[in-house]
Amino acid sequence: MVSLPGHDLHQLTGAYAADALAGIELAQFEKHLGQCRPCADEVRGLRETAAQLGITTSIVPPPAMRQRVLGAANRTRQLAPPGGRLPEPGTPGRKAWLRRALPRPVSVAAMTAMAAAVAVLAIVLAGTQHRLEQARSANQAVARVLTAPDARIETSGTVVGGTVTAVVSERGHEAAITAAGLPAPPVSRAYELWVISAAGARSAGLMPGASASATPPVLAADIMPGDRLGITIEPAGGSARPTTAPIVVLSVAA
Amino acid sequence: MTAPSAGRQQDDPGPAGRSQQLAWLLNRVARGDHSAFEEVYDQLAGPVYGLVRKVLRDPAQSEEVAQEVMLDVWRTASRFDASRGSAGAWVMTIAHRRAVDRVRSEQAATTRERSLAFGPVHTEDVAEVVESALDRQRVRRCLDSLTPLQAEAVTLAYYGGYTYPQVASLLGVALGTVKTRIRDGLIRMRDCMGVPW
Repeated sequence: MVSLPGHDLHQLTGAYAADALAGIELAQFEKHLGQCRPCADEVRGLRETAAQLGITTSIVPPPAMRQRVLGAANRTRQLAPPGGRLPEPGTPGRKAWLRRALPRPVSVAAMTAMAAAVAVLAIVLAGTQHRLEQARSANQAVARVLTAPDARIETSGTVVGGTVTAVVSERGHEAAITAAGLPAPPVSRAYELWVISAAGARSAGLMPGASASATPPVLAADIMPGDRLGITIEPAGGSARPTTAPIVVLSVAA
Repeated sequence: MTAPSAGRQQDDPGPAGRSQQLAWLLNRVARGDHSAFEEVYDQLAGPVYGLVRKVLRDPAQSEEVAQEVMLDVWRTASRFDASRGSAGAWVMTIAHRRAVDRVRSEQAATTRERSLAFGPVHTEDVAEVVESALDRQRVRRCLDSLTPLQAEAVTLAYYGGYTYPQVASLLGVALGTVKTRIRDGLIRMRDCMGVPW
């Protein structure tokens, strides 16, 4: 099929709305969504449509489920709203949506990246003051990345929510990765970080999840130009190679 | 659980009204209102469980995932943004993603410790919720307006939880064909149902 890449990506709105994309293609399309207003609008409508398909499958859930869920809610802290403000209840969305200008996602993304970078720094500083003995070498490595003259910030939302931010030093072949607002991984699963190259994926360790604020940074070393960073959901101890589609993929080269 | 009754059509505020009410409830949930969460649960646990069950099939796993979904709704209610879609779609999107994630992690995992036979079997939960019978008819009618290939592609992707390359291989058609059929099918459904987005 001969067509422009943008046009090709646009054809994926339906598959995306039906959660039928996986892996790199999913990551690519989500990146494209951030830059393609018509795609985002179409996805919104198709998601509403797919949801209608979902709603019609309604069956009575097991009665015991209700008490379990309500009980669990009683013991579960809620996520803070993004930007620290709740919208007024009862305000219908459509007009606000029409009024909303294009720059909003961009500035939110930039602010998230800045906030995450500041949080990484704060954690590094706190670590060097209070846990110097245990944390010195790891934090030195992280500090080295953060202060590298070529340090660059890459940030992206994940499929499961939350944001992952990588501070990358290409010359130092290192990156410090932190996540904010990732949901708790499913029972006996964990988030695992991968350095993805043409040769395959190599584990860079487990990411702590379930934190509304930024997680402590994880360091990925030996990064080569063209590599990407990805996070997958794996069994709690981690896997030798990824066994699920990544929830986020970040490219580390400019 | 409030028992849905067939005689409620008169008071039914219609899809738009219901959606607005749900959005308002979610907003209360985001503020930690447990009674609002109970109402959200009573309205959406059926659709959530139904969809998850449709994708996963196994009752025990479906129950587990549906619980996670409803707890997610409680936990992340502050992230619901009415300007970006309806409350129902927000919740159903969470449900579908969770179900599909479960399918894909199960497929990828080499060990399958969980034997389906060990799960408790619920016999009573196949009864359909009467309340949505009207919506169901409308969706059915719109699904019938698709070409057979469109309908099959949409159904396998959404209800089957398959990726579009998997759908292509199941249907024995080219990737590009499936890609466009899913999109065209959903667009036709959208227009047929008059989705206001």
